Amino acid sequence: MSQPDASILKEKILNMATIRLLVNGTSYEKEMDPGIPLLWALRDILGLTGTKFGCGIAQCGACTVLIEGKAVRSCSITSESATGKDIQTIEGVEATPYRSLQQAWIEEQVPQCGYCQSGQIMNAIGLLKSNPQPTDEEILSAMAGNICRCGTYPRILKAIKSILDNPSKSNNI
Amino acid sequence: MNSRRDFLKTTTLAGGGLVLGLNFLQSCVSEVVSMPAHVIPLVGLQNGFEAEGAFPITDFLQIRPDGSVFLSLTKYEMGQGVSTGLTSILAEELEADWEKINVRYIKSSVSKSDATGGSTSTLQHWDLLRKAGAYAKQLLIEAAAREWSVFKDECYAEKNYVYQHGSDVRLEYGQLAGKVVVPVNYRELFETVPLKYRSKFKLIGRSLKSKIVPDIVVGRHPYAIDLRLPDMKYAAVLRCPVFKGRLLSFDASEALKISGVEKVVKIDGVTLDPVSHIRDGVAVIANSTWAAFQGKLAVRAEWDLGDNAKVEHEEFVADCLQRLDSDEGREILRIGRKVKESEMDEVISYTYEFPYQHHACMEPLNATSHFKGESCEMWVGTQSADKIAANIEKHLGIRKENIKINCYPSGGGFGLRYSSEYALESMLVSKAAGGDLVKMCYSREDDIKFDYLNPFELNRHTMGIQNGKAVSWDFKNVMANWGGNLGWMYYNIPNRSATQVTVDGFTHVGAWRSVMANAEGFSTECFIDEVAHKLNRDPLEFRLSLLPRGNMVDFNHSYQCNINRLRGALELVARKAKWGKQMPERHGQGVAVYPYMHGNGYGAVVAEVSAVNNEIKVNKITASIDCGLVINPDQVRQQMEGGIIWALSAILYGGTEYVNGVVQRSNFHDNPVLRINEIPEIDVHVCENDESQPWGVGEIGGPPCYAAVCNAIFAATGRRIRKLPISKTLSANI
Repeated sequence: MSQPDASILKEKILNMATIRLLVNGTSYEKEMDPGIPLLWALRDILGLTGTKFGCGIAQCGACTVLIEGKAVRSCSITSESATGKDIQTIEGVEATPYRSLQQAWIEEQVPQCGYCQSGQIMNAIGLLKSNPQPTDEEILSAMAGNICRCGTYPRILKAIKSILDNPSKSNNI
Repeated sequence: MNSRRDFLKTTTLAGGGLVLGLNFLQSCVSEVVSMPAHVIPLVGLQNGFEAEGAFPITDFLQIRPDGSVFLSLTKYEMGQGVSTGLTSILAEELEADWEKINVRYIKSSVSKSDATGGSTSTLQHWDLLRKAGAYAKQLLIEAAAREWSVFKDECYAEKNYVYQHGSDVRLEYGQLAGKVVVPVNYRELFETVPLKYRSKFKLIGRSLKSKIVPDIVVGRHPYAIDLRLPDMKYAAVLRCPVFKGRLLSFDASEALKISGVEKVVKIDGVTLDPVSHIRDGVAVIANSTWAAFQGKLAVRAEWDLGDNAKVEHEEFVADCLQRLDSDEGREILRIGRKVKESEMDEVISYTYEFPYQHHACMEPLNATSHFKGESCEMWVGTQSADKIAANIEKHLGIRKENIKINCYPSGGGFGLRYSSEYALESMLVSKAAGGDLVKMCYSREDDIKFDYLNPFELNRHTMGIQNGKAVSWDFKNVMANWGGNLGWMYYNIPNRSATQVTVDGFTHVGAWRSVMANAEGFSTECFIDEVAHKLNRDPLEFRLSLLPRGNMVDFNHSYQCNINRLRGALELVARKAKWGKQMPERHGQGVAVYPYMHGNGYGAVVAEVSAVNNEIKVNKITASIDCGLVINPDQVRQQMEGGIIWALSAILYGGTEYVNGVVQRSNFHDNPVLRINEIPEIDVHVCENDESQPWGVGEIGGPPCYAAVCNAIFAATGRRIRKLPISKTLSANI
């Protein structure tokens, strides 16, 4: 092994491609490593930092986005595989009927530190898209992949249920 | 405590408006600093760092021409709610319109009072914020009186307006702010300004909605990890796997082949004090976090792992036990006298083990640093910028006035961000990279493996019984790398003592939500339950019999333990949980109460547990809290819910494992925490009380939770738990 202070010559393997990402209806074309996880493309390349890094191995749900309407852990898919697909992140939710879910989060005062909440909200949207009237059991099971260390779980459940219990809100979705 | 010297400064904003500076943050920089324009997209944000006419922290309160009120937070937001609670205290006395209140995060702080921990933010700044609000209101009223050429006594303030009594004439705060004149005797006015009676409160005591939640739900609440600056690089550090080991050599050739990786540099570790140390490492500088992470995995390094690689947990615990048995130790508390064993009919003694614990904040540790030789700048989520600055000054030789620290809200603190090592580490990375502006981010694996763990503790309680009554209670604690023992021994047994021994563990330790009250709340309240059963007493009735009304107990702490309040919390939770109700077979109730003296708050919990089909299930937690005067009941409930869920994670899954000094846990698959489908029903009650001020909230819920659950497991199964987590204690046959 070389000594720590030895100067190191770079011998780079260039692995770049133009990737087109369609995020919240906007098309972005950027040079990037096609293997970069969508999470890091969103955050470090496109500057969409609402999607959070939590674990990198699809264990915590902080990075959840919607791809073609389905909740996906953006840390665990490559940006190449998301090319051309309809990607929705927390930044785009206000412009959709699911803003009522954000409102429910405010009404029930769900967040504390807030870091996991982008992922919680995106995951909840994914659930409601596939199952507009989930039972408590179905909500708990669908949300079990999203970790919160502040312990906001009781309020997440309440916020999702408040949408279901309120026909005027759920009709908007 | 805050120095009140030079604490007030009032200036007029360039564009009109009042800036009330509470310069109690004594050594603050006072020059105007502006953030680069595109740090974080601030458009549409409810809150932020600054707007037009940006000022640093000394500009504490701004009233802008449009009437909007901006309060600079004097404590760090990390989810505990200071941006709402502290703000509402000021708004109350200011007679501000709550809808017009906004939060400014501390932008650049090197101060004497910023440290945020111990559940003390509200109680420390309560008086100051009230006076600040009332003082600003007085100035606004005087400005209006001058406008109208009337006496100020003829005017009053309400909801962002000053009115004339008996008339519809009014002026909005925004119209008045630029016309404020600061009196010569402003300091005296500040100190003697009349404050509102509690009965007149309009905002305090109401469940006002959080000021930060609207930003959070749209993904725009600013965390340090989201920072984007021009020319910013990204860094990941390969650290020595063993605490205080040394780097011998490294090979970066593979790392440098990864696209996006730009530099690989050596980090020389720094010892800060006996318990904290920045590890030797190799930093990979790249053009994205991902490339830096990939580069780090490709670096090959050789380490001298050092002595901590030889620590075996079983031997360490055996050593701790031996020290418990020995006479060594520092006496922390002595009430009454030492009772001879010959005076006792019976001695009851048990030992309890509380393990190392991981934080696993959702926002992994990170900090962005720019080392410029004689000066430096940092962007970081922290609980104490002062500690960061002190360490930079000490170890990098940069004078404090040349250190700028931009403080962000944190994605969870829980004591982890009270430590400053990760922040100093990022500055070392910037320096090693030749002064690059570098965002250093821990991967989740780094965040778990190099966590500043809650210290391991063994607690032994011994009670001497004479004629069926407890006459002595001795508590001894052995703790890894941490000097404190609380010795909060509130049960009224005539002779009490607490003794403490510090031992060297295998790694770095730090503050962990509720700190030592976790281990000591667990051991004290499990033990008193065991004694109650030995003496054939009901656990609740036995506790109450040892908590005489009116008692104030001195633990050599800033506050005396108020037994009335402790008792009140216990009685309330017992009533709400219907203590003693009939439970089905293999179901049980358990109770516990604990004071949290750092914040002078008191909590109690009744847990309901079932042990059916070889599965322990916590079905319900009923909790109570006495936190003095309540600022925001819903936020108190939030903090209690959070503290309880925090403790339940530790009860079920906590602890850590290490082999040859290396932490074995790495991410959420092997460091499990509670998930939404595992939580019990939680029912929180806030005690009515006539305290004249607010006390601590954030760390009250956890400590009584451990013992309540374990005592409920005993009630359901007959099995005592003296060691956490229960996943390691209870075998399948329960």
